[in-house]
Amino acid sequence: MADRGGERGGERGGERGGFGRGFGRGGRGDRGGRRGGRRGGRQQEEEKWVPVTKLGRLVREGKIHKIEEIYLHSLPVKEHQIIELLVPGLKDEVMKITPVQKQTRAGQRTRFKAFVVVGDCDGHVGLGVKCAKEVATAIRGAIILAKLSVVPVRRGYWGNKIGQPHTVPCKVTGKCGSVTVRMVPAPRGSGIVAARVPKKVLQFAGIEDVFTSSRGSTKTLGNFVKATFDCLMKTYGFLTPEFWDETRYVKTPFQEFTDLLAKPTKGLVIEATVETVEA
Amino acid sequence: MAEEVHLGLPGPWAADYREKADHYTTKIGGVPDWPTGDMGIKPEMLQCSLCGTKLCLVAQVYAPVVKLNIEERIIYVLVCPTPECGPKPQSWKVLRVQKCRNVEQTEGDGDELGQGTGPPSTSVPEEQIDKNKSHDINDDDFDLDALAEALEQAATLASNSKKKNKSKCANAPIERPVLKEKPADLSIPVLPCFYIYYDKEQYRVKVAVGSSSNEFPLDKEMTDTGNYEEEKWDGEKYEYDKAIGADRTFLKFKKRLDAYPEQCFRYSYGGKPLLAATKVQDAGTCRFCGSPRQYELQLMSPLLYFLHEAGKGSSNYGPSNWTWLTLIVYTCSKSCCPSSCGGRPCGCCWGVAEEEITIQEDEAV
Repeated sequence: MADRGGERGGERGGERGGFGRGFGRGGRGDRGGRRGGRRGGRQQEEEKWVPVTKLGRLVREGKIHKIEEIYLHSLPVKEHQIIELLVPGLKDEVMKITPVQKQTRAGQRTRFKAFVVVGDCDGHVGLGVKCAKEVATAIRGAIILAKLSVVPVRRGYWGNKIGQPHTVPCKVTGKCGSVTVRMVPAPRGSGIVAARVPKKVLQFAGIEDVFTSSRGSTKTLGNFVKATFDCLMKTYGFLTPEFWDETRYVKTPFQEFTDLLAKPTKGLVIEATVETVEA
Repeated sequence: MAEEVHLGLPGPWAADYREKADHYTTKIGGVPDWPTGDMGIKPEMLQCSLCGTKLCLVAQVYAPVVKLNIEERIIYVLVCPTPECGPKPQSWKVLRVQKCRNVEQTEGDGDELGQGTGPPSTSVPEEQIDKNKSHDINDDDFDLDALAEALEQAATLASNSKKKNKSKCANAPIERPVLKEKPADLSIPVLPCFYIYYDKEQYRVKVAVGSSSNEFPLDKEMTDTGNYEEEKWDGEKYEYDKAIGADRTFLKFKKRLDAYPEQCFRYSYGGKPLLAATKVQDAGTCRFCGSPRQYELQLMSPLLYFLHEAGKGSSNYGPSNWTWLTLIVYTCSKSCCPSSCGGRPCGCCWGVAEEEITIQEDEAV
């Protein structure tokens, strides 16, 4: 039993070495670009996915076609494969890998914290943060967490409602730690006026023009990027006159796809028609 | 983490869902194989406590305990097949069937089976990365079946059907019609049946700090590219995993599931269960001897998925309404003999004890 553990440690080391080298290469050469090089391998894993939750089973069977149906009912997404299936154009990028240290009796223990942002540049963005003992594990874990936290981003117009929405619908502000980020609608052609780090998140979200203003200790870039993400999450939480109409309730996917009238529905449900007006 | 965990992985489907095996077989669904013809089980033990329908078998696990020298011990997990009762915890029942410990000579060849601290696990070279292998190796089932046959002198009917080589793929579950008009059996619905083979869980060995420091110089290059030196990501501390829809416990649960995505149940006598939610109910004490109950095995969500896939298209199908994440079974820590023979060496009586089962639900539904 002991030697089996040893050889497993050996092969693990080899595998990790390869993985780490691969990431190092990609990082040096491809600083600003999108990193989506592992798509081929992923296809196979998706087919082997055995769903754990009821929502996962419904998605696997193809009963849910768009991720908006999940957002409509605020259902918690617990499996990242759901997002992979429903949002196909998702790209990911590692924003930063930073070592975090802990003082122990035997010296310092270093772990790596990875920040990954995923998005399809068209209204869906997710942010994942993971600490792990190895870089590769941290990156892999952060990608999964980022996919689990994909949220819809509402876009609107600055002035004339011509063409597609390009900016945030109203002034929104997000906070994390001491950092507050405020996003203000901007006219077309302004571009994203923000620091380099939150600009990446906004690009992945699909926002084309926005003015931002930040406050607090933005040196703590971890909090800065989380504050930006929090701000984006709030775009759909803002009640504007388009939503003043009475809501018409729709059945949740669990109710719709069950044979018998089981448990009563939980919570409110808002119809999705307003989304099509805006976008 | 220190104890070994045995995983029940799906093997071949049964040719006929109502075929009989012997009580040494571990299987999902089908008809329960009681060790002797009449067990003397009270009829209300086999009925749903809510609606009175006869319970059907979900899992039958042959579980000897070598430490206590008990070889003849089987655990049956039963559920009410009606769709209304399925989601409710009171419609599930766990029975532990065990032979008196005082038996000495009659089942002497039972020793061959107990070769470890758990159910017999065949020695398949375990490379858990390449899970495709486990599908193709059907020799595991042959070994298990061969052993079972060697022990039982009376060859059962199942031996013929088990030899049919139907490998089970998770991608394309084979749809089988549930035969309900078998003349020999009762007309209760029976869940789709497949057999189980065992594997030990190899949880990834934690890496020593040394190897991660190899990656650190690479990492430095990656992070210190010229333009961005003024950005210091200061003040970062260790952060626990967090997602909008899932908490830390569930993320850990999912991580271990992803290592073996087809595990149907986890077996670890006296070990720690893998929880999907932090709320755990108290297991209580054994009804016969009063000793505290301990964790023995838990059924996992992939089992539900396989049953669901196999039953697609049949109406009024129980598993379509199940929404549990895991079902945890607690049994008597002393594995007491539940029969009423008073300790005399009789060598014939089988005792049946009801044990505790707790459900961890998917609370989103």
